[in-house]
Amino acid sequence: MPARNQEQWEKKPDLKLGEWVDSRIYSDEEIFEDELRNIWKKAWIPLMHESELPEPFDFRTAIIAREPVIVVRGPDNKIRAFLNVCPHRGMAVDRRPAGSFLTGEPSGNAKHMTCMFHGWQFDMNGNCVEIPRENAGYQGRVTKEGQGLRRLRCETKYGGIVWVCLDDKVDCDVEGWTGGCLDCIKDSLDEEPLEIFHYHKAIIDCNYKLWHDTNSEFYHDYMHYHNRITGFDDGYFARKCAAFDNGHVNVGTFTVNYGEYEVADDRGDLTFPHLPPNNWYMVDMFPGVNINLRGSAVRMDLMTPLSANKVMIEFRGLGLKSDTQETRERRIHHHNTIWGPFGRNLHEDLVGIAGQGVTMMPNSEPRRILQGRHEGLYIHDEVGMRHFYETWGKWMDRLPSDPSKKYEPGLVVGPEMPPAKGISSFPGKVAAE
Amino acid sequence: MSTNGTEMVKDAIYQACLNLDEKKWDDWLNQCDDKFQYSVTAFSPEIGKDMKYLGLNHNELKEYFGLLPKHNTDHSPLRRHATVYSVDVDDNGKTAEAVTSFLITQEMFDGVNAPLDTGENHLFVVGKYHDKFNIDNGQAVFTKREARIHTRRLDKGSHWVF
Ligand code: FES
Ligand SMILES: [Fe+2]
Repeated sequence: MPARNQEQWEKKPDLKLGEWVDSRIYSDEEIFEDELRNIWKKAWIPLMHESELPEPFDFRTAIIAREPVIVVRGPDNKIRAFLNVCPHRGMAVDRRPAGSFLTGEPSGNAKHMTCMFHGWQFDMNGNCVEIPRENAGYQGRVTKEGQGLRRLRCETKYGGIVWVCLDDKVDCDVEGWTGGCLDCIKDSLDEEPLEIFHYHKAIIDCNYKLWHDTNSEFYHDYMHYHNRITGFDDGYFARKCAAFDNGHVNVGTFTVNYGEYEVADDRGDLTFPHLPPNNWYMVDMFPGVNINLRGSAVRMDLMTPLSANKVMIEFRGLGLKSDTQETRERRIHHHNTIWGPFGRNLHEDLVGIAGQGVTMMPNSEPRRILQGRHEGLYIHDEVGMRHFYETWGKWMDRLPSDPSKKYEPGLVVGPEMPPAKGISSFPGKVAAE
Repeated sequence: MSTNGTEMVKDAIYQACLNLDEKKWDDWLNQCDDKFQYSVTAFSPEIGKDMKYLGLNHNELKEYFGLLPKHNTDHSPLRRHATVYSVDVDDNGKTAEAVTSFLITQEMFDGVNAPLDTGENHLFVVGKYHDKFNIDNGQAVFTKREARIHTRRLDKGSHWVF
């Protein structure tokens, strides 16, 4: 078809509802506020790994849906989470990203969280234990007993990931929340303690869902040199997507002979427990989390939506706590090869979503974003995104293909078909080489 | 060309900056010994860990540079401003170590919105080079470089080595 005129361009695609979305879901500020309220404040968010606060009195801060959160390890080794908000006049109880309360603040005692502003102090359970000149000022009207921090539901689960939920009324625990999407890697994560070795972040001017989409669709592997050149074999096309409750999806190798599907490399002996050598699972959790176990290392991306067109993505890499130094270095090397800031894929993924951000700035004209590929649920099938937006629509009570309308069911699962055959050439390969 | 070890080291570091600024990867590798080791490291106070973001030997670095044109990476050039803070030449004048402070700026080309952002520069990375050299034939040759950075936010465009 030749280039389209305005009317043709604005016409709805000849696809089913659910096979495309309206770009306003990525650019509209009102929708964004609804998402914080209806989704992010009601989801279990895997904020960090417990090895980021290894010792009693260690803490780490984070943000969920604009709400500041502080996670602390108590003297009983239990990890608890609180709103990082002082009940007095609303200062952040602690303003650092991480640290230890073993040392006191200049205006407070060791082993307490001290709000430095007026010296209110809290223990690791969030109890208020000090209000300077309490009686002189409040005459019993405000007391320590009534001024504890706001405690948040917090579970340490699936290999030591610390999950926090802002809403006490959400009627599931973390296991219920996952809906089984982590079962494929649960044993590998839980066999022995994990430890973090990598952290960096990127802030990109685009909607958080664009990063999540990129993590859930693999058709974009054409963008990645390594995948372009070596990746598209039979084993690659045999990977299948599976959908779970609450909008989660995973992708992994289900049907091929593990020994054959990827050229064995030197990471085989570093493979995580219970994982066939060099096997690989990618779990995309609603609304903005990716947990990826690829042989020798775990990657976890957490998206923190900052505005309709701004997202912070934090990248973590994890190995086994029992690693020798040499083993750890090899894991780090493997991790960096793909997922580090200089790795072969990550930088291209960031460039991709930044480019989408350009075309979907707030108040830009609505456009149609396609997610209609059907490949029998195999790797280039766009069912992951379709499943995500079906859940999104329900939670938001909006229709993803026209967010000014109310939700109506529209999930499309394509016909069964065999996996594609590996390909040895494609348009662009020659140019790329 | 200098006959003084300290000056040779400084010449090598500044020449490396020019080569890296201009993406003359081969010229930079020619300044390095066959056993050269390159790394980008950082300490993260967020997770309390020393981290390695990249670690490559001479051959791996060569391969890495060879792949750069095949990647769809950001086109915005990175350039550095460097100041050599200290040079220690050993007693026999055969080896040396140096610490160099650097700032890397990004000249926006692929902007977030290119027509708007292009032409703007901003600070991208802050760090120190910890370099080791062999001094031979009136030249300081890199045997090791650790680019120890104080930046954990690495947005798009991070794929060019520092
Ligand atoms: S605001 Fe925290 S003590 Fe006053
Ligand atoms: Fe990718």
